[in-house]
Amino acid sequence: MSGKVSRQILLYGIVCLAILLVPVFVEDAFLLNKYARYLIFGMLAIALSLSWGYAGILNLGQATTFGIGSYCMAMFLKLKTVPIHTGSDGLPDFMVWNNVTELPWIWMPFHSMPFALLAGILVPALFAALLGWFMFGGRIAGVYAAIITLAAMVVVNLIIIDQQSYTGGFNGITDLAQFEMAGFTFDAYSASTYYLVAICLTVTLFLALAVSRSKTGLILQAVRDQEERVRFFGYDVALYKTFVFAFSAAIAGLAGMLYTIVMEFASPTFLGVPLSLSIVIWVAVGGRQSLVGAMLGAVLVTGVQGALSESEAFLETWTLVMGGLFVLIVLFMPKGMAGAFEALARRFPKAAPEGGARHATEQAPKSQPHLGGAL
Amino acid sequence: MNKNRREFLKVGAAAGAASLVGFPHIWSKNSSLAFAQGGEIKVGVLFSLTGTTAIIEESLNKATLMAIEEINANGGINGLKITPVVEDPASDPATFAEKARKLVLSDRCVSVFGSYTSASRKAVLPVFEKQENLFWYPTLYEGRECSKNVIYTGAVPNQQQDDFIPWLVEKFGKRWYLIGSNYIYPKEENNYCKKLLEGLGAEVIAEEYVPLGHSEFSSVINKFRSEKPNVIFSTVVGDSVVALHRQYRAAGLDPATMPMASLTTSENEVAAMGGDAAAGHFTSAPYFMVFDSPENQRFVEAYRSRWGGDKVTHFVSESSYFQIHLFKQAVAKLAASDISPLAIREAVKSEEYKAPQGLVKVEPENLHCWLRPKIGQCKADGQFEILTQSADWLEPNPYSAYPNQKCTAEGLKEV
Repeated sequence: MSGKVSRQILLYGIVCLAILLVPVFVEDAFLLNKYARYLIFGMLAIALSLSWGYAGILNLGQATTFGIGSYCMAMFLKLKTVPIHTGSDGLPDFMVWNNVTELPWIWMPFHSMPFALLAGILVPALFAALLGWFMFGGRIAGVYAAIITLAAMVVVNLIIIDQQSYTGGFNGITDLAQFEMAGFTFDAYSASTYYLVAICLTVTLFLALAVSRSKTGLILQAVRDQEERVRFFGYDVALYKTFVFAFSAAIAGLAGMLYTIVMEFASPTFLGVPLSLSIVIWVAVGGRQSLVGAMLGAVLVTGVQGALSESEAFLETWTLVMGGLFVLIVLFMPKGMAGAFEALARRFPKAAPEGGARHATEQAPKSQPHLGGAL
Repeated sequence: MNKNRREFLKVGAAAGAASLVGFPHIWSKNSSLAFAQGGEIKVGVLFSLTGTTAIIEESLNKATLMAIEEINANGGINGLKITPVVEDPASDPATFAEKARKLVLSDRCVSVFGSYTSASRKAVLPVFEKQENLFWYPTLYEGRECSKNVIYTGAVPNQQQDDFIPWLVEKFGKRWYLIGSNYIYPKEENNYCKKLLEGLGAEVIAEEYVPLGHSEFSSVINKFRSEKPNVIFSTVVGDSVVALHRQYRAAGLDPATMPMASLTTSENEVAAMGGDAAAGHFTSAPYFMVFDSPENQRFVEAYRSRWGGDKVTHFVSESSYFQIHLFKQAVAKLAASDISPLAIREAVKSEEYKAPQGLVKVEPENLHCWLRPKIGQCKADGQFEILTQSADWLEPNPYSAYPNQKCTAEGLKEV
């Protein structure tokens, strides 16, 4: 067992190292910016993999907390810009357009960077904790929980579009300052921004791995497989589920903040249904019971999507082609790439060198997928 | 857990090392590379071919490509061919931003033509401003933007309303009902409309906003019935406008006494709702498909023979078309080695072109266009009848509702 764990950590480390080394080989500003964007999607996939793959909570509204994080960062960066017609401590332009005369109280604390950074992580987490407490406390599970997450996202999205005096409405928050921290300026096109994203991704991945390998992680997997039985053992199932739900939201919030830095704007489409469903697809393609699999799934799918849509041959059909590929993957690789990879490794025993791991597989073949496998 | 932590430290150290190696690579603009290379000039074409706004944006894509083909067939610009790089931003602001980046940074396009909604324009704006590139925006919009990196060839509020509002007040009366979709465009148009109405002594009896995509207008129509406005000023857009017109007609209201006046209902929207539902209502725009001019005849014929005999042209596809010709004229003034986005911007200032709508000109101060507004009434066959047109071309004033602000070549100024 411990051999397997260390192999897993090694694998995760290699993946992260490879990600961190990319700017050594890639200097193109456009590519760095694009890859940083893909990595942020990878973080979202990790977040969903934790709640869906490990705890069985299908969150169809993962983009809600992503969007909240993104808006927190956008509010902070917006206040750093100097508005053309209201001067250095003036109102953001869209507020002037909406006839707002003074900065709303909810914007006030976003002058402070520590507050904004904390808010970008804690507000999504608290939002999810509250929603989770109501859902899981009320023993709402499965498809009903999925519907509630979806509905909550639509509500937040509508509020943002409707309250345009405070949120910029449909256009979102645009014309932002560059993010600066510890003497670095994070230009969206620079290697520094790529590293910022890559380091956040690495930290996130290992934190998520630690949670999934902890006792809490085991209980969550038990909850996923047999919720009633775990409850009879005396565990507070709702508490565990709320925890992982909020933790996943915090990751999404962090990803959202980075997304604003990389995209240079925040938009209500960041917390839209299309993005949320995309996250589900990435995770399904990568393998929902593998954190690194889900992450690579996101990078791969968005990468292929970008490449297809840029190729002239698929210009008008790329969405169709993507749809077809997803159907095939779900039909033939129900556990995603990670699952397929493990199945391959099992079929060719020499590829899986350690006898201990194989032994465990033979003894308890059924428990293998539940523990997330080597990936 | 222990191993985990150790591995974590290892990765952290590696990350630090990698960043030390990586930082010198921070990107610098390679401005030495010429934009016109190998006998071609690359331009980006950025209209959604899929997604919610694909229907209208596809027509803009077609008009743009047609203009490029025309120019290339006539020998290009000083012998240089225009090579369009077409991308599909899929009606999504984030994808717009990504594709704009690709066109500007990776393809090194000298200009990008594209986008329809304000949300997508706002999403691509930072790319063009930071990379000092040039974006050409063909759509009418709410104004209040003063970017040095955008050429705006669509109408701003003063150009569509200055003639239209007084004309409607005189013809129909002073009780106005303002209905719009809930976002910045209708609010800004209404801000200017209310200003004009106040000057004319007219009264706004209601100002109402429905969510984007709203399609259930029965309560709104009941209010029309009970309030009996003389004019309904509609800035409802997208699918909602189709629903509003159809339900208005189904309710048996009469355009002869309570017409809807719109700034966005073009031949394209009318085709979607059916001529019956649109008949009798009014639109103000710089261009209508029926406009009688040799340039327009050529444009409509070329468009239909290129893309299909049942296709309509409209005031956004027309500006998508003529902005390519303005681009051509500007580039033609430059030596091949001087071609750059900012050189093109300087060259296009005050440039005139005989567009299908009539002669247009780029205002050097704010990079918007002098246009020729017309008032059209829709007929049951889906075409408009042009009732009047402004005597002269009209100056663009993107800050028309805010007399103390002015967009100048140096940026926005307080007056």
